[in-house]
Order: sequence, then C-alpha cells, then structure tokens
Amino acid sequence: MFITVTQSLLEGFLTTVKLFTLTLVFALPLGLVISFGSMNPLRIVRIPIRFLIWVIRGTPLLLQLLVIYYGPGIIIHQNVWGSGDSGRFFAALVAFVLNYSCYFSEIYRGGIQSIPVGQYEAGQVLGLTRTDIFFRIVLLQVIKRIVPPMSNEIITLVKDTSLARVIAVYEIIWSGQSFIKSAGIIWPLFYTGAFYLVFSGLLTVLFHAIEKKLDYFVV
Amino acid sequence: MALLEVKNLKKSFEATQVLKDISFSMDKGDVVSIIGSSGSGKTTLLRCLNFLEQPDQGTISVNGELLFGGGESKKVSETEIRRKRLHFGLVFQSFNLFPQYTALQNVCLAPSLAAKEEGDFRSKEAEIRKNALTLLDQMGLSDRVNNYPHQLSGGQCQRVAIARAMAMHPDILCFDEPTSALDPELTGEVLKVIRSLANRHTTMIIVTHEMAFARDVADYVVFMDQGRILEQGRPEDVIDNPKEERTRQFLAGYR
Ligand SMILES: Nc1ncnc2c1ncn2[C@@H]1O[C@H](COP(=O)(O)OP(=O)(O)O)[C@@H](O)[C@H]1O
Ligand SMILES: [Mg+2]
Repeated sequence: MFITVTQSLLEGFLTTVKLFTLTLVFALPLGLVISFGSMNPLRIVRIPIRFLIWVIRGTPLLLQLLVIYYGPGIIIHQNVWGSGDSGRFFAALVAFVLNYSCYFSEIYRGGIQSIPVGQYEAGQVLGLTRTDIFFRIVLLQVIKRIVPPMSNEIITLVKDTSLARVIAVYEIIWSGQSFIKSAGIIWPLFYTGAFYLVFSGLLTVLFHAIEKKLDYFVV
Repeated sequence: MALLEVKNLKKSFEATQVLKDISFSMDKGDVVSIIGSSGSGKTTLLRCLNFLEQPDQGTISVNGELLFGGGESKKVSETEIRRKRLHFGLVFQSFNLFPQYTALQNVCLAPSLAAKEEGDFRSKEAEIRKNALTLLDQMGLSDRVNNYPHQLSGGQCQRVAIARAMAMHPDILCFDEPTSALDPELTGEVLKVIRSLANRHTTMIIVTHEMAFARDVADYVVFMDQGRILEQGRPEDVIDNPKEERTRQFLAGYR
C-alpha cells in the first residue's frame, strides 16, 4: 500500500512542482515589467496597471482560477485552453502567473523605490548610461532588499499550487485525497504534508544562502 | 578666456524662482567658494552645472564651448548630456557611494564602463586600476581600498567619493557641503584633502559653511542670497570686508 500511495503522490507532486516552477519562470520577469508599468510617469500606462494589480491582489486566487478557466468558454464560446489535463493545467498556469506577477511587481516596486535617489544621481554625474545605472548600481541593492519578502511569497506559492485542484488539475493533495474514497485511509494526506514541508524547507535553506551571500554589503 | 562662464542662469520650481539671474566665471586652477544661508540656491546651482537640473534660461560654457543655452532644442539626447556633464564632477553632501562595491571598485566603475563603451577596456584596465589606486593614495586611503562603504567612517567615505569623482578627470570638481554630514573631527581630514587638491591647482567650486576654510583655500568667494549673487570677489574682500549689509549679517552668524 505504501508503495502505491508514494507512486500516486509522486505523480501529483510532479504536477505541483511543474506548476510552481513554470509560474516562477514567467511571473518573476513579468512582475518586473508590471512594476515598471506601475511606476510609469504616463498616467495612461500607470493607472490601468495599478487597477489590474488592485483587482488581482484584492480578489481570491481561487476565484481567478475559476474565472480564467470557465470564463472564455461561457463568455465568448471559445475553448481557449485546449482540452483535457493539459488544457486545465495551462489555464491554471495562466492564472498563477497573472496572480503572482502582480504580487511580485509590488515587491519589486517597493524595492526599487527604496533606493535613494542619490544612487541614481551619483551614477548620472559620473556619466553612466541609464541602463548601466540600473544594472550596475541599483539592481543588486534591490535584490538584497527584496529577498526576504520574495522568499515569503515564493513559499506561499508552494502551498497555493494546491488551489489548482478546483479546476481539476491533479496536484498532490488531489492524489492524497483520492485514497479517502478508494481505500478509506487518511494517512496519505499527512504524507502530502511531508512533501510540502520538505519542499518549503529546501526553499528556506536556499533563501538563507542567498541572504548570506548578499551579507557582504549594507544598503 | 575663462574656463567656466555662467551667464544669466535662471531656474524655477513651479512658482518659486530659485535662481534669479546668476552670472559668474572662473579660470583654470581657480578655487571658487560659494557661501550663503540655506535655501539660497547653492545646491540648485551645482545641480544645474552637473545637468541634474535643467535651467530655464541662461548659458553655461566651458572652454568656450556652449554646453547649455543658446536656443538649441529642449530635447538633448542622453549621450549628448552624458558627454557634456563630464566636464564637471560632483561630490555630494551624503557621499552616495555604491554600497555593493569596495572603495577601489567605486572609483574604477565609471572609467571602466566608459572604456567598455569605447571598446578598449582590455587595454585600459590596468591603467584605470593604477589611476584609481593613485587617487585613493592621495586621499590617504591606501590601506582602505578593499573596504566596503559600510566599513568606512564618514570622512573616509567622502574621500572615496572625491577620488571617484576625480577618476573621470572633470575640468571642474564641484563640492556640495562636503563636510556637513560629518563630525568636526572627520571634517578636518576631508578639508585637508580638499586643501591638498587646491595646492595642486585643481579647479574646484566648493559650497561650504566652513568660513575659515573658504577664506583660506578659495581664490574667489561668491555670496548667494535668495537666488542671487549678492557679492563676489577675493575672500579678503567678501569675507573680511563685505560691502553688503546682508553679507555682514550672514557672516556675523559665523563669528
Ligand atoms: N526639486 C525641488 N522642487 C521644489 N523646490 C526645490 C527643489 N529643490 C530645491 N528647491 C527649493 O529651492 C530653494 C533653494 O534650494 P537649494 O538650492 O537646495 O538651496 P541651498 O543649497 O542654498 O540650501 C529652496 O527654497 C528649496 O526649497
Ligand atoms: Mg544645499
């Protein structure tokens, strides 16, 4: 029985990890783009982006998942997500990327805006280009400042991936829960908890290492 | 011909006019001290020279080259501004060192990036480093080159900032109250290196509240009040025998 459960949970876990990783791959850069948009001096750019961030952060991810998955089919009578498991996974990924890039963008914005204007001006009077000022002076200071809030958010993402089950993405809790019905046992659910603990534990260690690595300077 | 010629410079922030018709000039090797109470526009003037602010009117010329004014279109390209502002260097009151870089890296960064842009970084790298070490040595920091800013005292930070500004070989080095953020003890060591630069005929504009220092080191003193130059001349005249009542009042606060 243990082997069967482990195999089934590993399958679910694979989906969890895939959703987690792909969300990060797309949401980390997209969040930066959105944060630039939310700081754009042009109102016509800034206001809609801030509105989007407000809507996404102000409503439950669960709701966003449902709307994004079912919305297109019902509103425009188009199945934009494709069929079957992969279609549902794709819809979930889009919802997660949208949601997390808005959260990340606010963390980036806080980090970027916390850099004193004197850092930019010092770069300017030395004749640096805007690009060099951002990449050679500002970026590492921003990274140092955002590692703690980012690690919080990313560890939350590990657990949030379980919400994808609401549109029948077979992640690890789905796999664990199926044994309640089929075999009348609860321990596979605790077992899924162990997966989460190990995964978030590893991430915690990783973020600690990054913080240590950036300890050599003080912002 | 004067090295720097500023004529009829005007600058407003919204409704308040901060610079009202500023004109002065200086020669190569001159040290000009700008004094005046806070809010009189000293920082704004230095920021205009360094292209951190755009004046509304007036002209700025260096070596006869018109850097600002003369009715050219408002939109000047970033490359053009970057080239023009390199005639000036600026040392800030709050140092603004880059915290993730050592003293040496702070000094080398701008020259290295400039060399990379020119495509001859490889051939210049050793020279840039050597020049930076020489500058830091002049600042009395040869044993601190590999320290990060947070490991340095305020006085040491400011001296790194001076070396960093000099590494780009500006024609005119500007200081905006370089010792105002420092304890009296640390003020002395920074004034000492600025004095040594003056002895080597470095062209400098120094905004300062250290009257004894200004009197001593400056060839020329400019007294600013409410956005105007109220009085300018040799330090013996402006500081010891001011003509204007307002200048006398201001200086009385420093005796
Ligand atoms: N960016 C700005 N926006 C609005 N007002 C400013 C700005 N910078 C300076 N000022 C105003 O301009 C005046 C002169 O300031 P400043 O040049 O800093 O004087 P100083 O350096 O002589 O103390 C002050 O009244 C200040 O409030
Ligand atoms: Mg000032």
